[in-house]
Amino acid sequence: MKFTRRDFTVGMAAGIVAPYVITSARAQGATIKIGMCAPVTGPAAESGGYAVKGAKLALDAINKAGGILGKQGELIVEDDQTTNPGIVLAFSKLAAQSDIVGFLGSIRSTQVHAMAPDVIKLGKPVMIGGTDPNLTHMGNQWLFRCRPNDSYSGRVIAEYGVKTLGKKKWAVLHSTDAFGTAGGKALTEALTKLGSAPVLDQGYANQSQDFTPVVLAIRQSGADIIGSYFTFENDLGIFGRQLRQLGVNIPWVGSPSITNVTALKLAGPALYNTYGVADYAEDSSDASKAFGKLYRAATKVAPDNQSSWTYDAINVLAQGINKAGSTDPGKIREAILSIKKFAGAEGEYNFDQNGDGLHGYNVVRNDKGNIVFDKHIEFND
Amino acid sequence: MDLFLQLLFTGIGIGAVYALVALGFVLIFRATNVVNFAQGEFSMVAAYLMVVFSVDLGWPYWLSFLIALAGMALLGVVFNLGVYYPLRHRSFLPVIIATIGASILLDNSVLAIYGPQPQVLQGWFDTPGIQLGPVYLDSQYLLIIAVTIALVFFNYWFFEHTMLGKKLQATSQDKEMASLLGISVSSMIMLTFIYSAILGGLAGVLVAPVLFVSIQMGSTIALKAFAATIIGGFGDVAGAIIGGLAIGVIETFGAAYISVPYKDGFAFLVLILFLIFRPQGIFGERVAEKA
Repeated sequence: MKFTRRDFTVGMAAGIVAPYVITSARAQGATIKIGMCAPVTGPAAESGGYAVKGAKLALDAINKAGGILGKQGELIVEDDQTTNPGIVLAFSKLAAQSDIVGFLGSIRSTQVHAMAPDVIKLGKPVMIGGTDPNLTHMGNQWLFRCRPNDSYSGRVIAEYGVKTLGKKKWAVLHSTDAFGTAGGKALTEALTKLGSAPVLDQGYANQSQDFTPVVLAIRQSGADIIGSYFTFENDLGIFGRQLRQLGVNIPWVGSPSITNVTALKLAGPALYNTYGVADYAEDSSDASKAFGKLYRAATKVAPDNQSSWTYDAINVLAQGINKAGSTDPGKIREAILSIKKFAGAEGEYNFDQNGDGLHGYNVVRNDKGNIVFDKHIEFND
Repeated sequence: MDLFLQLLFTGIGIGAVYALVALGFVLIFRATNVVNFAQGEFSMVAAYLMVVFSVDLGWPYWLSFLIALAGMALLGVVFNLGVYYPLRHRSFLPVIIATIGASILLDNSVLAIYGPQPQVLQGWFDTPGIQLGPVYLDSQYLLIIAVTIALVFFNYWFFEHTMLGKKLQATSQDKEMASLLGISVSSMIMLTFIYSAILGGLAGVLVAPVLFVSIQMGSTIALKAFAATIIGGFGDVAGAIIGGLAIGVIETFGAAYISVPYKDGFAFLVLILFLIFRPQGIFGERVAEKA
C-alpha cells in the first residue's frame, strides 16, 4: 500500500484533533452542568461571593452523596456585574453552552425581569431569588422562585403586627422604587383586609439625607406601629436614628432589610426591639440550623439569605433533575413543580403551579443587636 | 409652631452642608472659570480618610480630623496638577469633562478599596443632641451650623483684609492683570484648589456622622450644592451660603407640607424658576451682550 502525501495530511489532522474531540466528548457526558449568574463584580460583589459559596456548598454535598443522575454536578459561574445588561450578557454566555441543564438567576427582581425574555426563548429551568410577585405571574413557565415573594412579606408584617402585637393604627413607610411601592401596596392591602387600614401611607425617595418630615408626619398621624419597606440600609439607618431622636418609640416591623448586617451596624441601638420579616432565620428549622452550621464552618461568616437561597436553589434543581430521571427541560419543570415538603434552609418548599416554592416568612426580633427567631407565619392560599 | 421650629432647624442644618460644598464650587469657578464636578467627591474622600484614621487605625478624633484635612490639601494639589493644569489653556469644556472623569476615578478608587457598604463615623460629641423645649437639636447639625457661620466670617476677613486673599481675588477677576502686577497666577490657582478641597472635605467630615460614609454621599450633596450656587449667583461667596441654606430649608418644608417623595424636586423647581426669571441668581449681576 502506497502511503501518499494526502494520507499523511489526513493522518496528521486526525492525530491533532482526536484528543480534543475525545476530551470534549468525555467532558460532555461526565458531569451535569449548572450555570449561575452572580455579581462577581459591581456594588453587590460582596453578597455575590456569599451566593456563589452557598451554591458550591450545596453542590459539594450533592456530589458527595452520589451526584445528579449518578454524575458529578459542575457549577459554571458568569459575572452579572450587578447590572441588568450584565446579567443579560452573562445569561446569554451560559445559554450558548447547550450542555447546561439548569440555571441560577438573580436575587434582584429587576435583573430577573431583564433576563426573563431570554429565559423563555431558551426554555430551560432558571431558579431565582427576586421577590417581585409578578416574576412568577407573567407567563414565564421557566422561572422557579426559592424565596417567598413580597405579597407574603406584606401579609406576614400585617398579620404579626395586628394579631401578635395587637396594633391597629399603622404608619406604612416605603421607598418609591419598584420594590418599595410593591411592598407598601402589599402591606396596605393586607392591613385593609385585616380591618386596620393605615392611618399614614408615606413614600420617600431613595438616598434621602433627612427624614425629619417623615418622622414628624408619623408622630402627627397618631400611629401606634410602623410597617416599612426600605431599599437602602443608609436610608434605614438615618430614619431609625431620627425616629428615636425625635422621641417616636412605637413598635416597628420592617421588610428583610431591617435585619441586614449593614443596617444593624449603621443604626445601632435605634433598631433595638424592632421586628423584621426574614426568609432565612438560622433557628427557624432543623434544615436552617444545619445550613448555618455548614456555612459557618466553611466561611467563618454568619449565614444570610444571600447564600441560603442559592443553597436551596441547587438542592431543589438537583432534586428536580433526579426526580425527572432525565435532563429534558420539560420533564425537569414538571418534577420541580411536583416538589412538596422539601426541607430547605429558607423553609419548607411546596411548589405551586406558578413556580413559587415558599409561601411564608419568619419573623425575627432585634434583641440588643442580635437577631433572634420569633415565629414562622405560613399561608396555604 | 413646634413642627415649624423643628423643620427650620433641620433645614438650616442640611442647608449649611450644601453651603460648604457650594463655597468650594464658587471659589474654583472664580479662579478658573470652570465648574469642578468632583467637588462632592472631595467630601466623600475626606469622610473615608476619617474612617481610616479614626475608626480603622483608632487615632484620636481631632488628630484624624487634622490629618484628613491635610490629606485633602494634598488632593487639592494633585487635582490641580493632574486635572486642571494640563488643560488650563484649553476651553472650559475639556476641563469640565476632566473633572467629571476625576470624580468617577475617585468614586471607583474608594469603591475598590472599601467596597459598597456604608461605614459609620462617630460625631464630635458623645451627646447626640439636646432637647430645647419642643425642639430637638442634633449636636452634629449644631456643629455644622456653627462651622458655616465661622467660615462666613473667616472668608470675609481672609478675602477682604489679607494680602493673600486680595491676590486670590485679583487672580479671579483678571488673570493677565494680576500677572502683570507680579502675582503668581498658577500659585494662586493652586491655593484655590487646596482651599476648595479642604472646604469640601470639611463638609464631608462634618456631615458623615449624620448621613453615614458612602460612595454616593458626595454626589448627592454636590447636586444640591450646585443648585445652591446658581440660586445664590454663580461666583458669589455670599450667594453660595444663602443659596445652600435656602435649598435646605425649602426642601425640608416642601417635604413636610407638600410631598415627601418630591423633596428633591422642590430644590430643582426653585432652580428652574431662578433660571427663567433671575438667571444671574440672588447676588449675581446681570450680564448683557452688546449687539
